[in-house]
Amino acid sequence: MRLTVNGRVHDLDPAPSLTLLDLLRDKLSLTGTKLVCDRGECGACTVQLDGEIVYSCLTLAEACEGANVVTVEGLATGGSSPELTPLQRAFIAKDAAQCGFCTPGQLIAAHTLLAKNPRPSSDEVRAGMSGNLCRCGTYPKILEAILAVADGEFEQKTEDGGAHAA
Amino acid sequence: MPRKAKSTAKPGGFVSTTVEIEGRTETRIVEMPAFEPAAWTDAAELGIVGARVPRMDAPERVTGRARYTADITRPGMLHAVILRATIPRGTIRAIDLAPARVMPGVFDVLGPGDAPAGTRLFGREIFYAGQPVAAVCAESVRAAHDAAHAIVIAYDALPFAVTFGDAVAKDAPKVSAKGNVTRETPLVMSRGDVKAGLAAADIVLERVYTTPVQLHTALEPHGAAAEWEGDRLTVWESTQGIFRVRENVSKALDVPLSNVRVIKDYMGGGFGAKNGAGSHTFVAALFAKRQSRAVRCINDREAEQTDAGNRPSSVQRVTIGAKKDGTLTAIYASIDVPLGISGYEGGPGQIYHEMYACPNVRTEESFAYINASGMAAFRGPGYVEGAFGLEGAMNALAKELKIDPVALRKKNFTKREPRQDRPYSGNALLECYKEGAEAFGWAAQDRSPKTEVRKKLVGRGVAAQVWPTGGGPPAYALLRINSDATIDVLAGTQDLGTGARTVLSQIAAESIGAKLSDVRAIIGDTESLPYTGNSWGSMTTASVGPAVRMAAEDARSQLFEAAAAMLDAKPNDLESRDSRIVVRDTDRSMTFAEVTKKLGNVMIIGKGSRGPNPSDTAIMTFGAQFAEVEVDGDTGVVRVTRFVAAHDAGRIINPTLAESQLEGGIIQGLGYALFEERVLDHKLGLVMNATMHDYKIPTMSDIPAIDAFFVGGSDPVANHTGARGIAEPPIIPTAPAIAAAVSDAIGVEMTEIPLTPWRVLAALASVKRG
Repeated sequence: MRLTVNGRVHDLDPAPSLTLLDLLRDKLSLTGTKLVCDRGECGACTVQLDGEIVYSCLTLAEACEGANVVTVEGLATGGSSPELTPLQRAFIAKDAAQCGFCTPGQLIAAHTLLAKNPRPSSDEVRAGMSGNLCRCGTYPKILEAILAVADGEFEQKTEDGGAHAA
Repeated sequence: MPRKAKSTAKPGGFVSTTVEIEGRTETRIVEMPAFEPAAWTDAAELGIVGARVPRMDAPERVTGRARYTADITRPGMLHAVILRATIPRGTIRAIDLAPARVMPGVFDVLGPGDAPAGTRLFGREIFYAGQPVAAVCAESVRAAHDAAHAIVIAYDALPFAVTFGDAVAKDAPKVSAKGNVTRETPLVMSRGDVKAGLAAADIVLERVYTTPVQLHTALEPHGAAAEWEGDRLTVWESTQGIFRVRENVSKALDVPLSNVRVIKDYMGGGFGAKNGAGSHTFVAALFAKRQSRAVRCINDREAEQTDAGNRPSSVQRVTIGAKKDGTLTAIYASIDVPLGISGYEGGPGQIYHEMYACPNVRTEESFAYINASGMAAFRGPGYVEGAFGLEGAMNALAKELKIDPVALRKKNFTKREPRQDRPYSGNALLECYKEGAEAFGWAAQDRSPKTEVRKKLVGRGVAAQVWPTGGGPPAYALLRINSDATIDVLAGTQDLGTGARTVLSQIAAESIGAKLSDVRAIIGDTESLPYTGNSWGSMTTASVGPAVRMAAEDARSQLFEAAAAMLDAKPNDLESRDSRIVVRDTDRSMTFAEVTKKLGNVMIIGKGSRGPNPSDTAIMTFGAQFAEVEVDGDTGVVRVTRFVAAHDAGRIINPTLAESQLEGGIIQGLGYALFEERVLDHKLGLVMNATMHDYKIPTMSDIPAIDAFFVGGSDPVANHTGARGIAEPPIIPTAPAIAAAVSDAIGVEMTEIPLTPWRVLAALASVKRG
């Protein structure tokens, strides 16, 4: 079957039981997407499938034939010193990642939310992001980062908001 | 005034010092550092320390490049899965591993008798459901999982005890080989005369406070990957203590320390549960040895929620006495804690002795073993549970005496640490009360609900906290200046998501006068880095920070020596900032890179170590938290609508990162107050909610606006950076503050958490019944 992941086309032959998450992590070495609960409860494995967010731990790889998948690795472009998206820059600037384990799922969910609703209210962000759990309690900073992007605060790449902000 | 421990000891000589870890005091022998940098007081002009610089490894975390333990792959790597007992107590009558061995993709199986005694793996006697009984190694996790479940086990079940009451009953079954209790009579801590104190009181209140078992629920599960090269073992582990894992593995597998290398790069949270090697570590190492292949073993979520540590529950029977003006005369608490099958006596009692200036305090703590997975330290262990009882009683007292609960706390403020009658290194708790109350608008009486849809009841509550956060030795650091003047800070510590990499880089850059962007902290490898202790007990910044500062100052002295000749100046006339050395009061200068270019590969290496703590001094972090809640009178649902936290942790190296930790602690405390409770079925002895759906942690929808900030200033008595720890303190007062707000809202004292809708509805119904 053919699958496009982060803009690259792959021809794959997944076992019928293989999940999209395992395919991404084990076959394509895209380990940014995390396994946490393995049953669609925490959102850590969230990826974009044809523009919609899905739990990759509950999605069979075979069911994705012809689909377009975006993972956290596909957000920024440009190799090891990538051009980060406004959300990624906002996450850095607002300290929206503590341990960072939920961050890939948070970022994909937030990107998708803003693509559908570019100017969400605070309550819309809370509701939209409530499927992505964070145990470090970074929620206030994640909320702040998403709202800042919606406000256009990160539209232009600033010198101190780049990949090596520190 | 607190005394410094310097006294007669010379640099290089050894002295005795005390270090407080998770509330426990340990005495250690430590060598005096070669020199002690002058303490950074509030007057110190610092530019990088104290700055809100972004987390330095955040780019890795937001791009998916950060590699966690489960992301480690090695050529030919195999996967291991642990099979766990399905009954709480009994013996394995028969176990058939053969069906697993013939499953496709299986390489190896281990069962009873197959693991070295030091690993304590795969015993035939079962003490709790979830105990490892066998393990399978296969080419994939799925193959290993399927094979593990092909193993056939026949158990002889035995009677068990999963509650404190059952474990200490006269006819209780034998819970463990160690017996059913940690000691025959309660652990007593006492000062003064409680009886006399209660007799002298104008008012005496008695209450019973109950707290649940809380699960750490770090998103990254426990896990390890192991690989042998001959006799040498490398372990990649998600851990708060690489050197402790090394020691555990060395002992369990009888391998010399120098043959064990433990690596931890990125880590997805620990919260106290990842302080050493575990079953997964030994299973990975054993299979790796037998198969001569790398093996990875990662807990699945069920294992993580059933056998990866927990905060034990407690029942606290509190008697508190006071004068009419609020002056405390006596506090007494009798406390029961069921630890699980293992654990330590880090109970709720200690905070009762440390929070207030009460002359008569006595706690009696009883710890029982039960047939459930063992407890582990969980952020503020003991103090979180204890604060729920003590602060609950204080709020009840305030209500009975019609005294403002903040005023009651100020009234009983203690100028000396009362448990050991010591001075504090610094204490801005009164400022926490004042500035927290101001930020919250505590004096105002706004009780209007924020939403008008249903019958909403609004309430407010407050609670306070202490926690020992001095850190201490041993901790070592090195600092290398490369030939292009980039700087490596080397320390064998861990960043759990706390920001240690960033904070240590800031301290190094400040101390040596470099640009922060030139500095990189290298951590998490026992083979190449100098020793530091576990990242527990809110200790890392206060322990490793001073060692890093000393290493940087040592390197700077050497750099100045080299530059002095090049600049035709004396080393004492040199200053450095932004990676440039300037001859004071002249326009002569050189960049670090110009100096190091001339040095070529002559490498400047600075060495630092953590000196002893000041003697007889309490080094603690303080805080006061204020909560506002809305209770839905029809459904019993509690929403926290506003939250303010003011804490004093000495100098704050990076306010942004520190505030993130405050918010994180508060949010875990909010979960503890409202949702979180491991449910253990008393008839079956099994965990009923070992998933992230059934065990509720807070989501973004549950979080109010949080205003968390710091008061006070540098604490130069604590150590020469002036910083104390902050990781654990913010979770300690959150639940009692929220419970007080709910009590205020509904007019019924809530003494048991979590404050679930049904519990709140039952309380409301009790009022209606009158």
